[in-house]
Amino acid sequence: MVPNRLSRRRLLSGSAAALPQIALASLLADRTSASEKPHFSAKAKNVIVVFCSGAISHVDTFDFKPELLRLNGKPLPGNAKLVSFQGPNGNLTAPLWKFRPRGQSGKMVSDLVPRIGELADEICFFHSMTNKSNTHGPAENVMNTGFAFDGFPSMGSWINFGLGSENKNLPAFVAIEDPRGMPQSGPNNWASGFLPASVQGTPLSTTMPIRYLQPPKSVSSKTDTAARDALQFMEQNFQRSYPGDNQLAGRIASYELAARMQMHVPEVTDLSQESAHTLKLYGADSPDKTKAAFANNCILARRLIESGVRFVQLFNGAYASGGRINWDGHSKLKEQYDVHGQILDQPVAGLLRDLKQRGMLESTLVVFATEFGRMPMFQAGTYGRDHNPLGFTCWMAGAGVRKGYSYGATDEFGFKAVENVATVHDFHATILHLLGLDHKRLTFYHNGIQRRLTDVHGKVIRDVLA
Amino acid sequence: MKLFTSGPIFASLCGFVLLLVADNSAASDAVLFEQEILPLLQSHCVDCHGANDPESGLRVDRRSSLIRGGDSGEAALTPNQADGSLLLQLVRGDDADRRMPPEGESLSTDEIALLSRWIDQGAKWPGQMPGQKDAQDDTLQSDHWSLQPFSRPKVPRFDQGNNAIDAFINKRLDAAGLTFSPPADSISIARRVSFVLTGLPPSDSVTGDAKERDYATMVDELLASPEYGQRWAQHWLDVIRWAETVGFETNSERKQAWPYRDWVIDAFNSDKPYDQFIREQILGDELGQDAALGFLVAGPANLPGQIGRDEEAMRQSRQDELDEVIQTVSQGIMGLTIGCARCHNHKFDPILQKDYYSLQAIFAGMSYGDRRLRGEADDRLTDRVPAEAEKLRSLIAKADSLRVQKKLRPPLPSFPKETFDPILADGVRIEIMATNNDGAASLYELQAWTSEHDNGAEEDVSKNASSQSSTSRNIALASNGSRVSASSFALANQTRHFDNLIDGSSDRRQAFPWVAAKAGPAWAQVDFANSTMINAVAWDTSSGVPVDLVVKVRDVATGQWRAVATSRDRMLRTDDIRKAESIVIDGLSQKEVKELWSVNQSVNRTRLSVNRLKAGSRVYAARFSENPAATWQLRRGDPMQRIAMVPPSTPVVLGALSLGIDAPERTRRQALVSQLTSPHHPLTARVIVNRIWQHHFGIGIVETPSDFGKMGSLPSHPQLLDWLASELVDNNWSLKHIHRLILNSKTFQQSSVPRPAALQLDADSRLLWRFPPRRIEAESIRDSILQASGKLNSQMGGRGFNLFQQRGGLSDYKPLETFDHEGWRRMIYAHKIRMQSVDVFGTFDCPDAGQMKPRRTQSITPLQSLSLLNSPFVNRQAAFFASRIEDEVGADLNAQIDRAFEIAFSRKATDPERIELIKLVRDEGLMQMCRVLINTSEFLYLR
Repeated sequence: MVPNRLSRRRLLSGSAAALPQIALASLLADRTSASEKPHFSAKAKNVIVVFCSGAISHVDTFDFKPELLRLNGKPLPGNAKLVSFQGPNGNLTAPLWKFRPRGQSGKMVSDLVPRIGELADEICFFHSMTNKSNTHGPAENVMNTGFAFDGFPSMGSWINFGLGSENKNLPAFVAIEDPRGMPQSGPNNWASGFLPASVQGTPLSTTMPIRYLQPPKSVSSKTDTAARDALQFMEQNFQRSYPGDNQLAGRIASYELAARMQMHVPEVTDLSQESAHTLKLYGADSPDKTKAAFANNCILARRLIESGVRFVQLFNGAYASGGRINWDGHSKLKEQYDVHGQILDQPVAGLLRDLKQRGMLESTLVVFATEFGRMPMFQAGTYGRDHNPLGFTCWMAGAGVRKGYSYGATDEFGFKAVENVATVHDFHATILHLLGLDHKRLTFYHNGIQRRLTDVHGKVIRDVLA
Repeated sequence: MKLFTSGPIFASLCGFVLLLVADNSAASDAVLFEQEILPLLQSHCVDCHGANDPESGLRVDRRSSLIRGGDSGEAALTPNQADGSLLLQLVRGDDADRRMPPEGESLSTDEIALLSRWIDQGAKWPGQMPGQKDAQDDTLQSDHWSLQPFSRPKVPRFDQGNNAIDAFINKRLDAAGLTFSPPADSISIARRVSFVLTGLPPSDSVTGDAKERDYATMVDELLASPEYGQRWAQHWLDVIRWAETVGFETNSERKQAWPYRDWVIDAFNSDKPYDQFIREQILGDELGQDAALGFLVAGPANLPGQIGRDEEAMRQSRQDELDEVIQTVSQGIMGLTIGCARCHNHKFDPILQKDYYSLQAIFAGMSYGDRRLRGEADDRLTDRVPAEAEKLRSLIAKADSLRVQKKLRPPLPSFPKETFDPILADGVRIEIMATNNDGAASLYELQAWTSEHDNGAEEDVSKNASSQSSTSRNIALASNGSRVSASSFALANQTRHFDNLIDGSSDRRQAFPWVAAKAGPAWAQVDFANSTMINAVAWDTSSGVPVDLVVKVRDVATGQWRAVATSRDRMLRTDDIRKAESIVIDGLSQKEVKELWSVNQSVNRTRLSVNRLKAGSRVYAARFSENPAATWQLRRGDPMQRIAMVPPSTPVVLGALSLGIDAPERTRRQALVSQLTSPHHPLTARVIVNRIWQHHFGIGIVETPSDFGKMGSLPSHPQLLDWLASELVDNNWSLKHIHRLILNSKTFQQSSVPRPAALQLDADSRLLWRFPPRRIEAESIRDSILQASGKLNSQMGGRGFNLFQQRGGLSDYKPLETFDHEGWRRMIYAHKIRMQSVDVFGTFDCPDAGQMKPRRTQSITPLQSLSLLNSPFVNRQAAFFASRIEDEVGADLNAQIDRAFEIAFSRKATDPERIELIKLVRDEGLMQMCRVLINTSEFLYLR
């Protein structure tokens, strides 16, 4: 255990009202000093997670299964009467979009996500993902916190806790909600659980500003400044009676950071300086308002990373809605995904291209995740696919991962992961590894156990490391 | 052969018996342990599984260890049951990944057969059989401090006063070269004791004469105030992560959860003895304390509809529900993380996986839901039942006589069956014009019943008229070759296809209904595989009950549809909410329909009223079934891998309960309670006095309040902890007694001002050389702001107020930004939504009831600053605060500042402060100064 880590943990959990030897900066999110260090040298400095809420179908996007074309309309061999989350399944159903070879690698990607497909040579696919839960909320929790239950710290807050912030003006972890609404598990996806509240994600998007960032309209800037000056006077006065008390000094600094955020958050969320070319690249000029808003969120993600934010969670898709506003295509998948695919494809492809052309992909890891996949069959009596946690696809691109590579595989139908089966814990361990963190050493004591993002499981998937 | 297991006396006779039965083939196969088994274990297993740091915690050199098993918690063998024994599975390599030994040669088939026979013969191990001298005791022993009984320690000598706490604290200070700080000033003490006991700053009538007041009187008054219970109940609710929604993705409201909150508040206010506090929360059904049972269901639990339909998902969900109960009881009361032993033996504490399931068995009869809340309010409802029921009876009689008078058939039941003269048909059809709730039509099943003369074949029915060999059957089944069609089906988030109509399944937990795509007319039709004589059509209704319909059959003779039944000759259903004008009844005028409709409405209203009265007062709490399901130990916690049934018990290290597998439900909880509330229980009293201590000083004697195990912290003052525990038990478990002991100590009353030399030695103030300052909690901040503004609503009890626009349900909660009198109650009365961070105050580490939170973090973030400076809540209250001051002292700026300081800080302003602030008040208004005061550390810190 690195002594600094111990001290900081105790400090933040309130047991150290006074530890004069600890730099004041480490109390706050504006740490630039190296009080938190990676466990070993890191390939990635920053992460953007694109999370497709509702469970995007792998067999209709990135996991090409010719057998589904051949056996379209036939029962799944050996599992004709399969009962899954919502009940009985019908027959195997061919992908609803045509797959084509893409890039130099010839990777088969469907026409639902053609622009992402064009970048297949940059991407490392994980085709053998599995999840413990077949229910959206718990499974989303697993993907974003490592546990099916509520209340565990999110991946972003673990990373924030482990690495600290490199930012004086902005929070280290930002969660960007989909313009259509919150994901199924809501704030649990970016909560700090039992870690200190200071490492939680701050929700912020181009359509939803930080709450209470600015004073009420009735308070003029002159008035606000006068009030802040008076507050500072009171605080310094009070602090004099408690020499050496870091908490009080920390509070003063927190007001200063809040003031800087008031300046810098509007700057970073103001996309008016982006060129027409960039807006077009992301599809922010789209007449489809949702697509344009998601594209703006993708641009915001890049801007946040440029401004030194460590971890950005970018949601595509909202809460349970019969697949209307997320990827939960139970009943009319084709019709709904035609809408969702438009919203997802160009902005995410634009983000990857933009990061690459700016040289940011060298130090930024882009992760594409979802809570589980979907069945290769249609559900009985519907035109959609049921939940499938037994095998699905996620991908990564950028810092430290192999390009144009596919790891693991599902069976010939895309029903179950069979080759190099990967758990979410493995996936998390690999992300932490790329950031220079050992998932077994990034721990926090809670209710009787040194907790980890990866519970007591997980192994780094070395095959995917560049 | 039974003789062999009969104990040591027979051991010496064994040879003789063996001789006698030598002809018996089984006996001739008797495995000789020392010659045949021991060498096998030694050559294959002992290297890794010996006495010294055995792999996976499994020792094979002791019979008792094999029976107990290793870290996995599963027995390696059970004597006489070779079948399913883990040892055999491993050496056979049933699971290739777990084959034993992992390297080197596997056991031969003969060796495995030998092992198997040895186990089946009782796994005899000479010298180690029960009762023999080398037999190992299977009970666990531990030398961990918290599992040892406590006794009242001798109070150390201390020459400054006679407070025992000070004596214990002083002893450690002295040893570390530290001393107490001087007493704090009277204002600090008044604020400190007020925040600690009530979570509120002192009302200014108290602070005005703080100096003159007798400290003990102040403590007594605060302990007697209702605000005391409101404050300390919050601490308990944190420990057990109590909330008023179910959690998970639906996060539905638990509408009747609030009586538990009131019960906890009352329990603290009335100083309910702590043993009784526990007893009622586990045995409230027996003790007439139904609300107390909210304790057991404090945690999250999935709703039945959110659980998958497969067996595995249902079992998993039940395991998860019970796991929450185990966490609540074990961490909340025992300070042990027994939940860690769900999948394997506890890694650190002497708790076996079997212990986990034994504790689960105590609650095997428990479920989550509403139960009757007995008491005066409930009695009043019950008293009204007979009169209301009588009213209902007469209304029904009136409706029925009206029905008879109009010559109508009774209303449609929920599973109607219409019979008619047998007819040879090849299809049936239901045409629906309207439903009871104006919603989409919905049915589970549509059935066509053969007349009894039919024997299911295609023969000429008339020839077989005399045949009585077959009985009526439903021909409208997919399994009978029938096909179904319908006007439409709903493409909702669930399967609502018309195939459901003839799948033969209407079990509400397993089956889906057919639902039409939209409200309004709809039809469904079944075509038989063959023409069949039928004489009845039946349909099982769902949520949208068809109330205006025609049933038709297709007559083979004519090839035409023929109506066989209509609903228009029936009385209306009482749940029919259609407007009177839209109802048609054959032969009745609109006026007559209206007459029926009116009486029907009255019946419906009265029935609802009777049901409400009969249901009585309700509370969301644990419910119990007298027939608990068997509890199984589960391999790696997997609900599909049952190892063995376990009887209800507590961890053996605490002394197991001697109950059988089929012990009556309540007996199980009684046994647990009597163990937990024993004055000799090593944990119960220690854990609660530590919690009490923690909320006085910000940190417990044990830093990990819900984990007194090996991973928890050691007590900083073990003797003090035991002394306090003894005081609790010897004073009828009175928590207020413990408060008084602490509050009257010099330790509590000393100054919080840091001393550099002491900081050097003990930066955390862990040894209490000063009172450790800390930020007040989220609830205290909100309550204090409201107290300052004069808006705090002191109304106690009842349903909570809203912090969000909704009280439960899927995510996307919108916080309320402004409140009125109801929303100005103390924050403990805020309706608690699980996993939803509260606006403004959530950033101050207010837990969201996702996980148990026995001790809150204290973080400092810029979002706190933004919330306290800019939120409408704070700005509005700052304005109220300012007008209150103007009302009280008028326009004089100096007087305003002084009054504001009195209210916010319990003191007057100093001259430099006055000079600085008068400028702000003059230029920007009093409200701005109030906004500033709310943001100061002096307002937010307990010191």
